[in-house]
Amino acid sequence: MEKKYKSAYYSHVIKIALILIIGGVLAVWARGLFLPDTMGQYGHYRGSDLEDQRNVEVRNHTNESCYECHRPIRLVHKAGVHKTVSCEFCHGPYADHITDGKYVAKMPVKRDMEIKTLCLRCHNEIIRARPEESIKVVAMPLHLEEKKVNVEHNCNQCHMVHDPLLWVKAAYDMMGLEMKGDKK
Amino acid sequence: MSVAAHGETIAAVSNYIFPNDLHVHWSLMIVLYPYITGLVAGAFIVSSLYHVFHIKSLKPVARFSLLFALAFLICATWPLLNHLGRPERALSMMLTPNPTSAMAGFGYIYSAYFIVLLLEIIFIFRPVVVALGQKATGGMKALYSVLAIGSDNVSAKAMKLDHKIIAFLAAIGIPMACFLHGYVGFIFGGIKANPLWATPLMPLIFLLSACVSGIAGIIVTYILIMKVSGKEIDVECVQTLIKFLWGFFILDFTFEMLELFSHFYMATHHWHTLDALYSGPLFNTFWVAQVGIFSVIPFFLLMFMSLIRFKDGLLLFFAPIVSIMILLQVLLMRWNVVIGGQLMSKSERGATTFHPMWLEKEGILPAIIIMVAPVVILWLIGKILPFWMDDDGIEAA
Amino acid sequence: MKEIVDIVDIKKEIKKDRRAFIKNVLSGTIAGSLLMVIPAGAALDQRLPEQLPGMRGNDSPFTEKKFAFIVDVTACIGCGSCCVADKNEYNVPDGNYRTWVERYIIDDHDEVFVDSPNGGLDGYTKPRKDIPNPVRDTFFVPKLCNMCEKPSCVQVCPVGATYKTEDGFILVDKKRCVGCGYCIQACPYSVRFLNPVSRTAEKCTWCYHRVREGLLPACVNVCPTHARKFGDLNDKKSEVYKILREPHVISVLKPDMGNQPALHYLGLRREVV
Repeated sequence: MEKKYKSAYYSHVIKIALILIIGGVLAVWARGLFLPDTMGQYGHYRGSDLEDQRNVEVRNHTNESCYECHRPIRLVHKAGVHKTVSCEFCHGPYADHITDGKYVAKMPVKRDMEIKTLCLRCHNEIIRARPEESIKVVAMPLHLEEKKVNVEHNCNQCHMVHDPLLWVKAAYDMMGLEMKGDKK
Repeated sequence: MSVAAHGETIAAVSNYIFPNDLHVHWSLMIVLYPYITGLVAGAFIVSSLYHVFHIKSLKPVARFSLLFALAFLICATWPLLNHLGRPERALSMMLTPNPTSAMAGFGYIYSAYFIVLLLEIIFIFRPVVVALGQKATGGMKALYSVLAIGSDNVSAKAMKLDHKIIAFLAAIGIPMACFLHGYVGFIFGGIKANPLWATPLMPLIFLLSACVSGIAGIIVTYILIMKVSGKEIDVECVQTLIKFLWGFFILDFTFEMLELFSHFYMATHHWHTLDALYSGPLFNTFWVAQVGIFSVIPFFLLMFMSLIRFKDGLLLFFAPIVSIMILLQVLLMRWNVVIGGQLMSKSERGATTFHPMWLEKEGILPAIIIMVAPVVILWLIGKILPFWMDDDGIEAA
Repeated sequence: MKEIVDIVDIKKEIKKDRRAFIKNVLSGTIAGSLLMVIPAGAALDQRLPEQLPGMRGNDSPFTEKKFAFIVDVTACIGCGSCCVADKNEYNVPDGNYRTWVERYIIDDHDEVFVDSPNGGLDGYTKPRKDIPNPVRDTFFVPKLCNMCEKPSCVQVCPVGATYKTEDGFILVDKKRCVGCGYCIQACPYSVRFLNPVSRTAEKCTWCYHRVREGLLPACVNVCPTHARKFGDLNDKKSEVYKILREPHVISVLKPDMGNQPALHYLGLRREVV
């Protein structure tokens, strides 16, 4: 005896097929809805990110930016052997000092023994991986002993930090001597 | 100290790791992810052995393994979502999948597999669901009606149609399960920057270990549920499962060792890093635990259980033990691949360390929760769809 | 309302004679407070020198240039200026490095010792005490994004958040990155990290925003020994073009990875990975 059923024998298959089709259409529609506007403009990425990337804040400026205001230092620093040293390396990034054209905070200035630490960060002979062509290195306190000065002396007592040879050269000139290694 | 040979210059280990390599970015969650998808793929294979390859003795677990696969598949994305730095953007993987990315396919492959598995369950369980729906009342009746897709037709004609569809779904389900997990292996295998991962064997090893873990998972849960509910265990079914487990494990273990041996034998400059890794930070978890204890012992146990006809009691005593060992072997393998691969710095000169914490976002506790969740889900599914009732049983019930 | 008028006036003044204007500001002829209403963009452009010609004011999405970065290993003194500038430019969270400097020490038994304490951010102030044999050679190697011709990170990014521009920059879209970490795994040079604040992947961009403003990358700009060089290979007069054309010892990192980096190393030794 064949039982009577309310549904046709294929009804569930039709319903599942419909659900899958509707689901697929909805997914395609939702994808279009949520797709970022400039996706694929230039490649498989959001084209407008190029603009976002360009708008990243420039926080480090150049020494020239500092010289705009700090005129006396400019004359010294630009002429000396430290001319390639960035102002911002010792004093911090420009943006911490000036933001949106406004003065926001004082720049840190190294004092006392901090100066010696800073000098020796580069000029320490004990770190041997320092090419001669790039930098003059010294051994401490040997350098002070050689120069016959008090071993307690700080670097900036002889070397002006913004042009380390400024005073030294002046001293040699006054004495009418020629500096070792001075090409002039 | 002896003079180092010329070729060793580059390999000299000074334990220098790149500063960005200190942190292991893929931690416990990414260990669990291939583990869980592996269990899914393996359980599905068990079901297919019955539904497609007509291994009749696997009939008792054929339906259960589908529900087992579903429970774990539901949780497969959880560790990933917990791992993502920006989980709220997870759907971007489906919105804008990058065609060259191995990872981008996961959303689609997962969804497609989920649909196929769900459909197969709906079709296979339809007669049972219709029968249960007629007896149920209230909310459960509505639920059964939804699960039966609003149809009560279980006539011979309808069943014939259903069987055709089931055969088709099971048939496409096998390559999809293989693809799902082989693909998970490729996510690692395709990373050329990591010498532990970058091998064409990786998808194969992942797939074989997936089959192994799935079969072992089915054996453990089947025996456990039967013991707890006081039902009779089908010994022939367990015997068959053990034989398949041994077969797959032979392949799995062989390829795992072959992969390592090839690296060792070819001894490219990568081997120096791998050697340092296997004899150093991975020595305990790889050589002692994964290979020594949880591969060699189960390997011989499985061999004896397959070749010698054990007494029923002895078989049912050893089957869960060997299966749990295999489950741990696969978990250790995932750990050693995922964590191990990241311990080596790309500096090729040193290794970092990894110690999971209990309470961090991707820590041990979240990992335990994620592993317990599928079991709870399976129990909930069991409240709706009977694990062990087949079409013949409907009348009796 | 008055402020807007002021800005217009100031802009006119600046155009007329920048030098005189600033002089006036400094000498107090123009009230110092007026300077404070110059909008950021205008102030920035006026004050910064153009280090890369033909970039400023170019609004097209891509430039016609082929940028190359050259690191001269033989010139680096390991001062860490580059690392400091980089950290300041991007406020890089501690423990993550967009660029870093490694110290290599090779002893006379061919043993190689490498370190990079805090990525070289604090400089190298102490010698290594654990070298068993006399040191044969020692040098510094700065590291940064290699801007590969065939970038692994772009290949693996699942959502297209990391991409390569037509002029060769590899960038990360912060708004789309899902933080999966796949790019971190894929990069052979480990230049990427997951920013703990934004929870997205981050890496060196060769200072794309600066370059598009005609400025050198922050690290190049501050390098006191000119060990870091940046320029356009399409410009036959550029320093980078000349270096790459002449017979120097030039290499890239991990060439067998096949990534074809646009970051070149001058005087690179084979011990460097």
